[in-house]
Amino acid sequence: MTTRPPMIEFQDVHKYYGDYHALRGITATIRAGEFFSLLGPSGCGKTTLLRTIAGFEGISSGAVMIDGKHMAHVPANKRPTNMVFQSYAIFPHLSVAENVGFGLRRDPRSAAEKIRAVDEALEMVGLKGYGNRAAHALSGGQRQRVALARALILKPKVLLLDEPLSALDKKMREQMQVELIKLQRQVGITFVLVTHDQEEALVMSDRIAVMFEGEIAQLDDPETLYRRPNSRRVADFIGVMNFLPAKVTGESNGHISIEAGGLGQVDIEAAQAPGKISGGEAWVGFRPETLTILYEGQTAMDRETPGTVEEVVYYGDMTYYDVRLDGVDRPVRISMRNVFGRPVLDIGTRTRVAWSPGALVLFR
Amino acid sequence: MKFPALRAYALFYLLFLYAPILLLPIFAFNDGTIIAFPLKDFTTKWFEQMFTTPALAQAVKNSLIIAVSSSILATTLGIFAARASTRFAFPGKAGIVGLIMLPLVLPEIIVAVSLLVVLLGLGIKLTTFTVILGHVLICTPYAIAILNTAFSSLDRSLEEAAYDLGETKWSTFRLITLPLVMPGIISSVLISFTISLDEFIIAFFLAGSEPTLPTYIFSQLRFPKQIPMIMALGTVLVLMSVILLTIAEYFRRRGIAKTGGTDTGGFL
Repeated sequence: MTTRPPMIEFQDVHKYYGDYHALRGITATIRAGEFFSLLGPSGCGKTTLLRTIAGFEGISSGAVMIDGKHMAHVPANKRPTNMVFQSYAIFPHLSVAENVGFGLRRDPRSAAEKIRAVDEALEMVGLKGYGNRAAHALSGGQRQRVALARALILKPKVLLLDEPLSALDKKMREQMQVELIKLQRQVGITFVLVTHDQEEALVMSDRIAVMFEGEIAQLDDPETLYRRPNSRRVADFIGVMNFLPAKVTGESNGHISIEAGGLGQVDIEAAQAPGKISGGEAWVGFRPETLTILYEGQTAMDRETPGTVEEVVYYGDMTYYDVRLDGVDRPVRISMRNVFGRPVLDIGTRTRVAWSPGALVLFR
Repeated sequence: MKFPALRAYALFYLLFLYAPILLLPIFAFNDGTIIAFPLKDFTTKWFEQMFTTPALAQAVKNSLIIAVSSSILATTLGIFAARASTRFAFPGKAGIVGLIMLPLVLPEIIVAVSLLVVLLGLGIKLTTFTVILGHVLICTPYAIAILNTAFSSLDRSLEEAAYDLGETKWSTFRLITLPLVMPGIISSVLISFTISLDEFIIAFFLAGSEPTLPTYIFSQLRFPKQIPMIMALGTVLVLMSVILLTIAEYFRRRGIAKTGGTDTGGFL
């Protein structure tokens, strides 16, 4: 992605609720046209941060800027942002068309033009012809679409989405994820999504800010976040990661030598330690899919360690194995894609596991 | 019904509750001044007498003025208080709300006497206006109790959504909040109206020389020949109450249907 101009800038934003420090110095830039996600467990401040963009929440110190303008004295109804609420907040006493056209009440356009705008917005979200329905008679997914159309009809610079998919069932959620991505590409508006679902964030976002306790722990694109998390906490929050205790034994021009918990001496690149490493005790992490169980006749491309299968969890397309590698004091999780004709291993099977030092991540 | 005893109990209970009310129309149409069986001839003269008694007409007028004013005033105050107590946190909130709700449990006679002392002390003449003040005081807690439910079941993000879409705080209240709590408001007005209409103690103490319907009825009970007319009046009042409550229930159900909620009871 080419570097786009900034749309939202947080400058050392702090927020206190009484003694509670909800936002602890947020500094970040969200670029124009970006699909940006705020990801974190509940209570991490992600929704509060979103609401400071919308103007529902004031800030205690620092600055929030939208499109280069300070928002300190701009109330929510004057900001170039619109929001899709977690509960959708569909006005139950109005029809679908009245809901979608609600923001146009103060628009100087003629009634006929407004009706056309509402129809276009409904068509955009796939609800053409639903205008006269009562809003409360809609299904969850349809409400979601009405909320989207209602927020997008004002052509905001930023669309804010507060856990918009959390109320939908799994299938509907996955469908809406794809539709939201398409919609975002179509309208080109900056989307800021709040979610606690790491998978959702990975699927949808251009960049993700992972938040813990009112701070941004890491801000990166999904791939970097997944492959090179900068702390054990981020690594643990996003996907599954195996951790083994390690010792840093040497550092020299861009390389780090480590003794990785029973796997022996390994040389890795400095980039594989995204967090600060200061020698001595450390942890290595590796994702389940970076390990491969070797079958008869297969050989490792890189390193190979024998082990014993301790647990098997069958998922249909995938199987998760917990394997105790020889010399390692705890089982590691390995995910294998199931291939036709290759049997799922039984508990207790002796096997060989291939791994690569390049896939390791080093943490403090 | 598995328990015949419970069934008998329920029947007896209903009889005890409603039989006296059923006596009203029976004696209202009975051609005799003594309230006793056996019944005499059928007559409608008590109803005619009702409409030709100026003092009764004046009492009805007073009562209606008081009931309409105090139900609207109490509901208006209730809207402010309910909104404040469901939306905002402020110091001393529990204490303030508690004080407002206190008249609900305070013996009415105490409220009436203390109001009388204060009003006389201030040199305010006792009129229907002073009764309105007293009735607002006792109706407001009911109004708040009803409106609190209406306001607290309102999703806060609805108001935020309207504000976010460019409306002002006031137009948001008018376009979103008010229509959605309207069933609660109608309920509150009707309940307050009913409470005020049949309130006796405060009206008795504060009405001065302008009797309300209950104080008028009480004053006429001393005259045996007036009793059949009171029966006729009672019949009309029962009929009116039933109609009023039916209307209230209709609005409440329509409100729920309009917003797609599920009916969770109500007064009827």
